[in-house]
Parts: sequence; structure tokens; C-alpha cells
Amino acid sequence: MAEHDRRPLARGSDAARDAASIASAPSSVRGAVDHRERASRRASHWLALFFIALALVFAVFAWATGDTFFFRLATESLIFGGFAMSVDLLLGFTGLLSLGQALFFGLGAYGSALVLKEITPSFWLAIGVTLAAATLVGAIAGFIAIRARGVYFALITFGLAEVVSKIVFNTRELGGSDGIIGIPVVAANFGVFSVDAANAPAFFLLMLVVIMAIYFSLAYLLSTPFGRLMDAVRVNESRVSFLGFDPRTIKWISFVLAADVAALSGAFYPMLRGFVSPELMYFTASGNAVITVIVGGVGTLIGPLYGSVILFGLKSVIGTFTEHHLIVIGLLFMASVIFLPKGLVGALHPRLAAWAVRRARPRK
Amino acid sequence: MTTMPSSILEVESLSVRFGALVAVDDVSFVAERGHITSVIGPNGAGKSTLFNLISGAIKPSAGRVTFNDEDVTATSPHRLARCGLARSFQITNLFAELSVYENLRLAAQVLEDRSRLPLPVGRSGEALRRVDELIAQFSLDANVHERAGELSHGQQRRLEIAVALACRPKMLLLDEPTQGMSHADTEEIGALIKGLAGELSILLVEHDVDLVMSLSDHVVVLNQGAKISEGTPLQVRADPAVQAAYFGSGSVGSEASHARA
Repeated sequence: MAEHDRRPLARGSDAARDAASIASAPSSVRGAVDHRERASRRASHWLALFFIALALVFAVFAWATGDTFFFRLATESLIFGGFAMSVDLLLGFTGLLSLGQALFFGLGAYGSALVLKEITPSFWLAIGVTLAAATLVGAIAGFIAIRARGVYFALITFGLAEVVSKIVFNTRELGGSDGIIGIPVVAANFGVFSVDAANAPAFFLLMLVVIMAIYFSLAYLLSTPFGRLMDAVRVNESRVSFLGFDPRTIKWISFVLAADVAALSGAFYPMLRGFVSPELMYFTASGNAVITVIVGGVGTLIGPLYGSVILFGLKSVIGTFTEHHLIVIGLLFMASVIFLPKGLVGALHPRLAAWAVRRARPRK
Repeated sequence: MTTMPSSILEVESLSVRFGALVAVDDVSFVAERGHITSVIGPNGAGKSTLFNLISGAIKPSAGRVTFNDEDVTATSPHRLARCGLARSFQITNLFAELSVYENLRLAAQVLEDRSRLPLPVGRSGEALRRVDELIAQFSLDANVHERAGELSHGQQRRLEIAVALACRPKMLLLDEPTQGMSHADTEEIGALIKGLAGELSILLVEHDVDLVMSLSDHVVVLNQGAKISEGTPLQVRADPAVQAAYFGSGSVGSEASHARA
């Protein structure tokens, strides 16, 4: 023990002296690192604020035309944007490619539909039940899936989603292949005011608030030490364990979080559309979410929202000209992977961050 | 032999089998607190496997590892790291895509309370203080923003040691720290390791026998998975079994030339 106390780096009086010296003369290195990190975060926030601005400009125009079609389409693109964000949380940060994330999106949609139709049309109960169910199922599915790595993880998530979607497809109580229809219109009560799902502009704004709240919460999480450990797991999983953290716990927690985000997004689907169907859980849905993330930018978090809006926009614009819009979208996807391999936001963000660093420097 | 209470690491009859191959065969030794204990041996002697057994990377078939009076046999690496047993890797094992600063901060993160994990990183705290110390100690100021994977080989080896040291371990396992380094760099790392001992107990696996002989308090010699000799550098150098092993294996290093001289 005496040997121990002689260590100059040990906690105690020496550490206190170090602390004092550092506090009086802040490390220039620490300041420089902090400066860069803040610039990078600011670049992300600009992209998020720009997204909100675009959505509001769109809302003004759509409201002026008095048409609800575009509002409903835009609301759906936000819902699927939230779904894509959950895929990005796993793929872009912890480094896990989920090919079955639709399991949780569908779970949210079905959970919400069942509560609204069978129990009571309460917005908060639907959200609460959905989140509780997603946390439980996510914990179990995650426990199984994180045992495998890389492509095996992808295959297990794919398998889990296939099993659940087939069960739903064959369960008459859940509407089988038809799904659940006739879900009552719900009103989200916030005390001072209430948002009616039938009011397309109001529901769009509610969805925008919800999705951006998810975005900012996740962006915050990623800036914490836990978020950095997620990053570390992606970059070099085995090394993380030699730093004193169990990478499996980190993967498990991020899996459950992603399940919650996907389910929360899914919970709004029946409120908007008035029905749910087993297709929401199919591989097509999971695959689309992965494509959305890649188009928007893996590991950017805001990118999936841009990606979702772009894909929904393309689908509806091209869809008015040709029934074969998927061919065009497929080609565009290939082109985007070749010319913008980091996705739209992945290409923009570093430039914005570099600009933010330069812009802030002279004022220092 | 010195008395037991000053030991920090005790390895007792440690063995591991991979199928029919006995990679580590009934190896026992004791590492003293504050000392540099080295493991040497010809290629394929089982040095790195022994290291992996002690650090929890692979599970032993038999035997016991006691660290700081605690049985840590087959304990997972993240628990060992929390107990104060850190290691570096022979093949540089960093977060190549992340900056040098981020590598150090991640490595020092364990110094913070676990309850602070979901709180903002902030601009102060024990972990960041430790990062500042390491940057100064390893002269990494100029490279903090660089990605670890873009550093020169010598700097990566230095960062590898800094990352292992970040958690303020009680004992550091260094797996061939000078692997692939120039002569000048090797000397510098040697001086650094020497400076760390005392504050810290060190277990060193090293190819460079000259370096081992100049640094170590105690040397363990492995051949074909088994311990063939141990003692002070002088005792080991004079041991006929050691000379035979080095001559016999064909990997005649400077150890052999010393033995001849």
C-alpha cells in the first residue's frame, strides 16, 4: 500500500495539485479539441435547423393551397424518417447493420393500432404501451442478436423480423394479411391545446416536433461519453473491452434505444393512415430504411430525415409519370452510392464543419 | 526468491490447449510489484498466448492467475481493466478512424464514475485531466487532431502505450512495444518503460533481447509453451538451457551472440 501512495499519478494531494494547475492554465490542446467538436456539432445543428426551416416553408405553401394530400405525404415521410434514424443509430454509430428494424417499426404501428382501436383512443396510452413493448421486445431480440457479429448480426435481425411478420400475417386476431383497419381518429392532448390527427397541417407540425425532439435527444446522447463508446465499438469493438467497458452492454443498450425510436415512429403510422398491415414489418420496409440512411448519409443522424424526404418526394413525383417508379429510384440509388458514397449529409457535413471552424477562429 | 507479499501477479500452472497443441504448458511465475518482469523465448514459444491468457483475451484450460490478491483466472478483459490490469498489443490496436485525442479520452473514460456516462463530456473531469497528462508525457501535442491510423508507425506504437496507460493501471502488460521500430525509437521506448516502472508494475513480452536484458528485474524464458528458465537477466543469460533453446530454434538473436561472447 505504501508503494501505492508513492505513485505520482495517484489520486489524492498530487491529483488535486494537478487539478489546480490545469484549472489556472487551461490546456490549449483541450481548448482546440473542444473548438473543433463544437464546430462539428454546430454544423449538424445548422443542417437540423435548415431541415426544420424547409418543413415550415413547405407547410406555409401547402397550407396556402389548402390541399391535405401533400401534408399527409410529408407527415408520412417524417414517420419513415424517424424509422430510418433508428437504423442509423445502429449502423452509423454502434456499427450494427440491422436488416430487421421493421420488426420494431411494425411493433409500434400494431401496438398503437391495437390500443387505439381495442382499448381506448388515447394518444398517450398508445405511445406509452408502444414504448414499453418495444423496450421489452428490443431487450430480448437484442440479447439474441448481439451475440453475433457483422453479417451474422444482420441475418439474425432479418430472421427475427421475418418470423414475427409471418406470425402477424397468420394471426386472425391481428387481422392476418389484411391488417387492422378502421382505427379511430385520435387527438393528442397536451393540456393547453390538443392536436387532432384528422387535421393534416396540425398533425404534420406535431410529427415535426416529435421527430426533431428524437433527433436532438439522440444528437445529445451521441455527444456524451456513452455516445463516444458507441462510436468506439463501431471502430474497434474488441479494443473497447480492454478499456474497461463491456462492448456487449453498449451494443445492447443501443439496440434497445433503436427499437424504441423505430417503435415510437411506427406508433404514429396508424394515427395518420387509419390502418396497419403486415407489410410494415416485411423486409421491404427494413431494406427501404437502410437505403434511406445510405442516401441521406450513414452516421449523420439528420441525413436519414433528408433521405426520407428525398425518397418520398421522388416516389410521388416519378410515380405520377410512370408506374415503374421503383426502376428509376433504383437507378438513382445506385448513382447516389457511386457519386455520393457518404450520402447527401455525409458529403455536406465535413464542409460545413470546416467552415464553422474557420468562421469561429478570428473571434477567439 | 523474495517473499510473496510484494507480488502483484501470480501465474500458477497455467496451460492452454488448442486441440492437440499445448500452446502454454504448465507455466508458473510471479511478478513483483513495481518491477519489470519480462517474458522472452524464440518464435512460437507461447509468449503472446501467455499474455492473452493473463489479460483475459483467451480462457486457460488449466491453472490460476492471481492479480493483486484476487483470483482473476478467465476474467473478462473489461473487468480486468477495471481492476487495474491494462495491456497494449503487439499489432497496433487503436481506434484508427478516431483522432488521437479521442483515442486517449476513450481510454481514460473509465476513470470517471459510470453514472457520468450519459452526461455531457464537458471541459473538465478526471478523464480529461488524464488525457492532458498523457499528451504531455508522450509529446503528442502536435498530433491530437490527427486520426490514429494516419500516425507514423513509431507514433502509433507510442499512442498504443499511452492508451493502455490512460486508465491509471496498477500493472501494464506490454506486448512487444518496440515491434517494427527503428533503433532510436526502441531506445526511447525503453527509457520510457524504465521510467514507468516503480509507479507501475510491468510485464513485458519482447523480441529485442538486448532491450529485455537492460530493462528487466526478472526474466521468464519460454520454449515450446513451457518455462525453461527464470531469474535475473544475468542468471538467465548464463543458463545453458536458454542458450540451447535460442541456438536450437535457429532464431539466433543478439541473445545468442552475447552467449557466445
